[in-house]
Amino acid sequence: MRSAAGLIYSLLVMSHPASGHGSRTAVAFARGALARGHRIHRVFFLDDGAAVGAAGAVFPQDEENPLELWTALAATHSLELVLCVSSALRRGILDTGEAARHERGTATIHRAFTIAGLGQLVDAWTSSERLVTFGG
Amino acid sequence: MILHTLNAAPSEPAFADCLRALQPRDTLLLLGDGVYALLPGSAGRQALLARQLELYILESDARAAGLDPADGAAQAVDMDGFVALTERLPTQMAWY
Amino acid sequence: MNGRKRALVVSRHSPYGGTLAKSALDLALAAAAFDQPVELLFMGDGVLQLLPAQEGNARGRKDMARQLAALPLYDIDHVYADVEAAARYGVELGAAPIAVHPLEPGAIRSLMQACDLLLGF
Repeated sequence: MRSAAGLIYSLLVMSHPASGHGSRTAVAFARGALARGHRIHRVFFLDDGAAVGAAGAVFPQDEENPLELWTALAATHSLELVLCVSSALRRGILDTGEAARHERGTATIHRAFTIAGLGQLVDAWTSSERLVTFGG
Repeated sequence: MILHTLNAAPSEPAFADCLRALQPRDTLLLLGDGVYALLPGSAGRQALLARQLELYILESDARAAGLDPADGAAQAVDMDGFVALTERLPTQMAWY
Repeated sequence: MNGRKRALVVSRHSPYGGTLAKSALDLALAAAAFDQPVELLFMGDGVLQLLPAQEGNARGRKDMARQLAALPLYDIDHVYADVEAAARYGVELGAAPIAVHPLEPGAIRSLMQACDLLLGF
């Protein structure tokens, strides 16, 4: 198949990083899209997907760790990784601002991620030519 | 032009919902637990093949599940092929 | 790129069994708040969100029926329901907390074809 060079993609990830396939599939898709010359405007993590931003997640050494996969890819391609704020807070994932606002001791989010409202997802789809969703 | 993606085993509601929204020649990519729909001899496979879809299966997920991705029922794609499908079909519907 | 896209949120899960139904509704409201055209389809188990006598508070959750009733305030006027699933569950669509257009499977497919963006929940 011919590559339609240079499309702008955003990804919506709703799969929990510790269960199902979606989060790992989404990383691999992102890698594949970049390899085919596309640009990734934003990766937005919603619902259970937001759990991936927990800095403290520890995976067994013989399993791929979605947190490490995302952060490694983000580092090499300066990807914007955004967690839905209400999804993140429900799951105990807070940045320093939210930790202060809700009087929690410390931030629990990995530094590769930011927290934002659903407007950033709406912006992702109005600013992109493709939105690909990963759930389950 | 829609790329439907199914990530749910045939016993999940997503499977039946997805099939109800499809007509012959619509494009469906099976991934995750969705690949179990092509288990040889299964009811899911029968239901799926009866739809006469343009059917794709994610090779890595098929192999992980113990299915032969090249058994002829679907076209096997790797991640590059998945991305290519989204280039060709601008809209995706995720069933899971 | 700054394209307005006709978006369809497809809500396929029961209201309180998980958080997907709530996320779907929140996203539809957010899209409307940012002045993007958005429509809502309740499909499969999603039609259970349309039961009229819900008391979400009884489970310590925000009541879905009350939130749905507010959709027209956000100019979300195109709301659809899967008639087959409604019939299967005995959900009376005429009694839903919001006016819904009943759709047969063929019409669901046509609706999806007509939209620019599909958000499956």
